[in-house]
Amino acid sequence: MNLGFIGLGAMGRPMALHLLKAGHALSIYARRPEAARPLTDAGATLCDSPAAVAAASEVVFTIVTSNADVEGVALGERGLIHGAKSGCVLVDMSTIAPGTARHIATRLGERGIEMIDAPVSGGEQGAINATLAIMAGGKTEVLERVRPLLEKLGKTIVYIGPNGAGQVAKACNQMIMVANIQACAEAIQLANASGVEPKRVVTALSGGSAAGRVLELFGGKMAARDFKAGVEARLHHKDFGLLMHEAAALGLAVPVASQVWQQLNALMANGWGNEDTSSLLRVLERGMA
Amino acid sequence: MNIGFIGLGLMGRPMAINIARGNHTLHIWARRAASLEPFAQFGAHAHVSAAEVAKHADIVFTCVADTPDVEAVCLGAGGIVESGKRGLVVSDSSTIAPAAARRIGAKLKEHGMAFLDAPVSGGEVGAINATLSFMVGGEETAFEKAKPFYELMGKSVTLVGASGAGQVTKACNQTVVAMTMLAVAEALTFAKKSGVDGAKVREALLGGFANSKILDHHGKKMLERNWKPGFKAWMQQKDLRIVLQSAHDLGLAMPGAAVASQLFNAMVGSGMGEEDNMAVIKLIENLAGIKE
Repeated sequence: MNLGFIGLGAMGRPMALHLLKAGHALSIYARRPEAARPLTDAGATLCDSPAAVAAASEVVFTIVTSNADVEGVALGERGLIHGAKSGCVLVDMSTIAPGTARHIATRLGERGIEMIDAPVSGGEQGAINATLAIMAGGKTEVLERVRPLLEKLGKTIVYIGPNGAGQVAKACNQMIMVANIQACAEAIQLANASGVEPKRVVTALSGGSAAGRVLELFGGKMAARDFKAGVEARLHHKDFGLLMHEAAALGLAVPVASQVWQQLNALMANGWGNEDTSSLLRVLERGMA
Repeated sequence: MNIGFIGLGLMGRPMAINIARGNHTLHIWARRAASLEPFAQFGAHAHVSAAEVAKHADIVFTCVADTPDVEAVCLGAGGIVESGKRGLVVSDSSTIAPAAARRIGAKLKEHGMAFLDAPVSGGEVGAINATLSFMVGGEETAFEKAKPFYELMGKSVTLVGASGAGQVTKACNQTVVAMTMLAVAEALTFAKKSGVDGAKVREALLGGFANSKILDHHGKKMLERNWKPGFKAWMQQKDLRIVLQSAHDLGLAMPGAAVASQLFNAMVGSGMGEEDNMAVIKLIENLAGIKE
């Protein structure tokens, strides 16, 4: 198939490579030409705009950072909407606000362009291993058309509901996951303050009811004091801005998430935005000084 | 003087009336024609747009709800920017984000107009009695022009700093108000659940370090179960969203404000948005299993 891919960052690059390896023709666009290099080396065609990518593609994947980025790529001056043929499908795998996803889907729909909001969980490692969890919003028949492609990127692909529903699921994912990271940080701080070896605590807990991927990965990193990014904390900070806005708009009390948000604000203030979210442990330590 | 006033709601109406009583000529505009009626007796000139108001006024005061409203009135189609003369002073008493105030101020400055962010504290009662507190951000020359009018509407007027500083001050004010409101609600519920008379507790506390206007005024109303709105819960929620969005952008942890905001979210979500913000005590009582 002729596919397009926009957003060749830590997540997008390995994902795009999986699609190439599966034998598809890939048109790509990148704001920074150096980001495109690994893909063009592997046989992808570099285009000069999202519109040009769309013109050459039956399905276009995007994975960029913010609401504004997705809106720009999809609806902007040289956006997908200006190049895509009717029946083209946009699969947006970015994490953005459900409302923005619905708005973009509506605008594209007016031109006969389909959209699936398909944010992912699993981090860079999940992207490299093609084991991402993909949560999809949109029309079921459109999802079924692109499902074989998504299967090259992830192993859990779940249809959640209409457009925006995928982003709602992702917001739920972030609430649980980052609160879980914060819980690990607090537990490890307790272990440290008690003079107990945190690595042993993490190992012991991995056999019990507190076990989980967050404890294993982030708890492990905290115990080893390895704060190098898997997922950059600034992205979780951005996601919390979105989901707390959503909670306020819905009139919901989410007290724990509101506290996690504040810890992430402190993390940003300390300059750890480009490092791993396990830096939440360092925020707690900073708060004791 | 010819004074423009836009936004004649709960707060704006009495504020504008206090200016009219100072023997100034009012030029007004409102989205709803009914809002204009009370001003006929003051000889106010009703106009068809904010731009028309600006054309006739030496200073324009605005008091609307939210950032998009201020942007529309100042910069939108039919807005002040279209016809305000050079040197016009625009003073906005809405509560909006500091960053938005700076943006609007910069835009008006490009057209030779001066913008003051001048949010107020004191509620509807303060607006009626002309006892509001004005916290102002902007340039001193513009502030001096607007000051006599602030003094007609309030009794405490402070130029805090450059553009946006008034809104920063208001955000600080809302942080303290929301958390104090919650603290008083929790304390009075603690007393109730413990079987102790809340009125006596309030009286005792008023003599000590826990004394505050909120314990005094709102604490009394909570005990009287008087939920008549002065400051509505949805407005408190909106203001806390401004605080927390700003904290997000600044990189600042505000754990207390964050928790307080969740309860005001819940008030709005459970249909209590039109009640006074002190009705937050009902949520605390619900969580405590206390039935009304």
